[in-house]
Amino acid sequence: MARLSVRLRQGLAMLKGMGVTFRYLFRPPMTVRYPEDKRSAVQPRFKGRHWLTLYEDGMERCVGCELCVIVCPSQAIFVQAAENTPEQQVSKGERYAADFQINELRCIFCGFCEEACPTGAIVLGREYELASYTREDMIYTKPMLTEPYPGASGRDPRREV
Amino acid sequence: MNQVPPMVTMTIDGTKVAVPKGTTVYQAAKGAHIEIPIFCYHDRMPPLGACRMCLVKVEKMAKLQTSCTLEAADGMVVSTIAPEVKAGQEAILEFLLINHPLDCPICDKGGECPLQDQTYAFGPGRSRFIEPKRDFAKPVSLGRVLVLDRERCILCWRCVRFGEIIAGDDALKGFERGFHSEINTPFTLPVESKFIGNTIAICPVGALTAKPYRFAARPWDNQAVSSVCTLCGVGCAVDFDVRGGAITRTRARESPAVNDIWLCDLGFFGHGYVHHSERLRRPLVRQDGNLVETTWDNALDLVAHRLRAAPPSRVAMLGGARLTNEDAYVAGRFFRGVLGTNHLDHRIDTRPQSASQSVPWGMAVSIAEIDQADVILLVGCDVTEEYPVLWLRMKRAIAHGAKVIAVTPKALEIHRFVDHHLVHRYGEGAAVVRALTGSHVEDSRAGGLGGVDSAAITAAAARLGGATRALVMIGRAALEAPDGVEAAAAVRDLAARLSVPVNVMRGKGNAFGAALGGLLPDAGPGGRPLADIAGDLQQIWNRAVAPQSGMTAPEIVETGAQGGLDVLYVVAADPATDVLDHTQWKAARARLPFLVVQDAFLTQTAQVADVVLPALVAPEKDGTVSSIEGRIQRLHAAVLGPGEARQDWTIFAALAERCGAEMAYSGWEEIFDEMQALIPGLALDARMNPMGGAIGRPARTPPPPVRAEAPSADFPFVLIPGEALFARGAMSARSAAIADLAGEPWAMMHPDDAARLPVAEGDAIVLQSPHGAAAVRVKVSTAVLAGQVFLPRGYDGAAANALADAAEALTRVRAIALTPTSAGAGSGEVGRRTP
Repeated sequence: MARLSVRLRQGLAMLKGMGVTFRYLFRPPMTVRYPEDKRSAVQPRFKGRHWLTLYEDGMERCVGCELCVIVCPSQAIFVQAAENTPEQQVSKGERYAADFQINELRCIFCGFCEEACPTGAIVLGREYELASYTREDMIYTKPMLTEPYPGASGRDPRREV
Repeated sequence: MNQVPPMVTMTIDGTKVAVPKGTTVYQAAKGAHIEIPIFCYHDRMPPLGACRMCLVKVEKMAKLQTSCTLEAADGMVVSTIAPEVKAGQEAILEFLLINHPLDCPICDKGGECPLQDQTYAFGPGRSRFIEPKRDFAKPVSLGRVLVLDRERCILCWRCVRFGEIIAGDDALKGFERGFHSEINTPFTLPVESKFIGNTIAICPVGALTAKPYRFAARPWDNQAVSSVCTLCGVGCAVDFDVRGGAITRTRARESPAVNDIWLCDLGFFGHGYVHHSERLRRPLVRQDGNLVETTWDNALDLVAHRLRAAPPSRVAMLGGARLTNEDAYVAGRFFRGVLGTNHLDHRIDTRPQSASQSVPWGMAVSIAEIDQADVILLVGCDVTEEYPVLWLRMKRAIAHGAKVIAVTPKALEIHRFVDHHLVHRYGEGAAVVRALTGSHVEDSRAGGLGGVDSAAITAAAARLGGATRALVMIGRAALEAPDGVEAAAAVRDLAARLSVPVNVMRGKGNAFGAALGGLLPDAGPGGRPLADIAGDLQQIWNRAVAPQSGMTAPEIVETGAQGGLDVLYVVAADPATDVLDHTQWKAARARLPFLVVQDAFLTQTAQVADVVLPALVAPEKDGTVSSIEGRIQRLHAAVLGPGEARQDWTIFAALAERCGAEMAYSGWEEIFDEMQALIPGLALDARMNPMGGAIGRPARTPPPPVRAEAPSADFPFVLIPGEALFARGAMSARSAAIADLAGEPWAMMHPDDAARLPVAEGDAIVLQSPHGAAAVRVKVSTAVLAGQVFLPRGYDGAAANALADAAEALTRVRAIALTPTSAGAGSGEVGRRTP
């Protein structure tokens, strides 16, 4: 007798579970068909690819101080600084980054570089589609990292830091 | 002085500390491992008390005291952590930071800045200062290597005091008062110093930074490789900072026995040549008159073929002062043991039969002993130009009361500190030294002996007579002078009377190691005579070595010029600019069937070679080098060499294999072990005795007598070939900073002579001798006597050896002023200037 009541309970539980399945079967899906379909927007604090931002007048914010280099826990950043000349003033002050590379394969998107940056030059943007077929493509160079026009990355170019 | 000073016992932060009387509180705390922040105090200089950072609380004293100036006393109770001290430190740092721009992100000192570190450790954390900061134009360039940022300066006076106390050149001074105070050069730009790199190193903020290192790296990018500077003979300990396979800067490594914590600017900024784009990367062979790149196999086969084909007596080797000890030893083994020639000599810059070949090169006393001298005698030794860091030692001796006597053909840069400066006519120094010994020398010529006032000689001789710990140095200007042999003998006699050894200040780079390795015609490894070492060599090399001496370097060139050589092998040297007589070298090259050059650059010699083998330079090598005091020091490879360049000993090993001999080593250690078997006392950090000349054979012919005839009307000036620390040779011209410090080739003449020409400071002239010409800029100075012209060697563009003739004792020249606008006399010579 006891065995029959157990069987009955099990059967009911199964029906209940199937009920959930059938209920969701006729609702619209929660997932999106990536990459054909995409979510509309990521969260405001999402940390995606890096940008090197510009001031409103087009000057680079980055002064090549290498604080992002030393704070980076995965050692993904390389910076080579150089000196501004009156003929070629790249950033405000004496120093600018002549070369700036981030290995996006190494990056863990922790955002420490953004926190360490004294001029607000480096920001983590919204873009997350960073895959590539070669490792070389994943080393972002300075032209790739520099935002195409002031404010393109979403960082207000009038902000002081 | 020798008794032990009484001890005082004091309490610092509750710890009982016993220190000798006279110790400062700061030093006592440091000894007890209690940290007190400092800025202005530097332990190589006396206390100043300018920055007020080292405040401590002392019981029974009303106010906070500066611990760097306060002498420890018995029963003193000191606190470095009391709340008042903390408040004092915070207040001082807040004041220091009021005018500090806090531009750490763009400052080269960021990451290794004492102000930064101490603000973190002892500072208040925030500033109450909201007013505008002091505003200076910045950065200010103070010469080729120094950049000043006056906003960052905290006026600690370390750099000013370095120039006053350590270097004695007063290169930087403080100007204005109070709020407007600033550091600047005392007279004109650029800053005049050979040691300015040290002020950059001791600046506690980023006020003084190095132009060549500007923004090159952060401290955390650099990997320090401990090595030894090989650019002169002193052998200063350095750290090469390496980033991404390239040397970013050179720093002094503390070495109390050699350079203490200092370097000269050649050491600081002379590494540029290592990464120069003109470094040789692949072997070159001459084909149809041009040097073309080839493989190592081709080049080595060709060289080995020619070496095998030539009779051993017609093969010679020159050079070696830029090699390591191991390279030199393997080179010696290859030429002696495999090829069977004894014609090897590293002393390529000596004149035939000169005194340099009969004296052992190197210092007989240690560098550290210079401090203790009470009288320093410099004979033809331009110490700041040739061995600059030794001058810092001498300066220390002077601070202890030492007196300096200099017998030189040109007044030294350090003349302010020379008590008896006997500037003599070139070629008459030996007579002056003889006079110093007290022996009477007849002299009928006007102006005293050699142009020196006789009263000055008497005073110097009296001073020398009272010496108890004299230091006697004879240098290149005396040894290579026409009367060099007499000068060397006179100095030897003088030193014997004073019971001190003679220090022969001779040899660039690792010349000492070249002699140690056996690159001498009459001596094997360790300077041991060939007859003496032959048995040992037979045992280890498995080859019999001919016991008779080979030719010296001038003889090799002379024999080459007479067609007596089949193959000349030049290693790490540039005979075209270094041998005394360029005309003779050219004749030798013309008659040489085969010239091999093994070097890092396409030097003037390499340009005319038949095969050029690319070699590594010192910062790329592992091994050991020897300094002028014979100290064996370890060289660590800091960077990789360019292209296919190889270390010198591996090239000789490969050639030996092609010559049918086994000469394989696993690395420098195995070579060093083999050298230890042959050279008694050889060990790392050991000091070897100077070698080479002591066993040198006597000159075959007596040296030509000094011709004291009156100057001819055609060639009225006597040429003094000399040394300049910053020059433009094969290596230094390719270190951008050094080449800029050196500037254009120059010559120095007396104001009277300049007025007669007439030329003014900076004018272009051509110096002409019967053999050649050199275009230079004039420096007008009373440092040389009238009728003499000083011309530094080392400028490839105006090589002194183009004017000289090996057969003549003195080189006489005439000077022709070049007028830039009109096509005056001698303007046709402009084209001679090397582009």
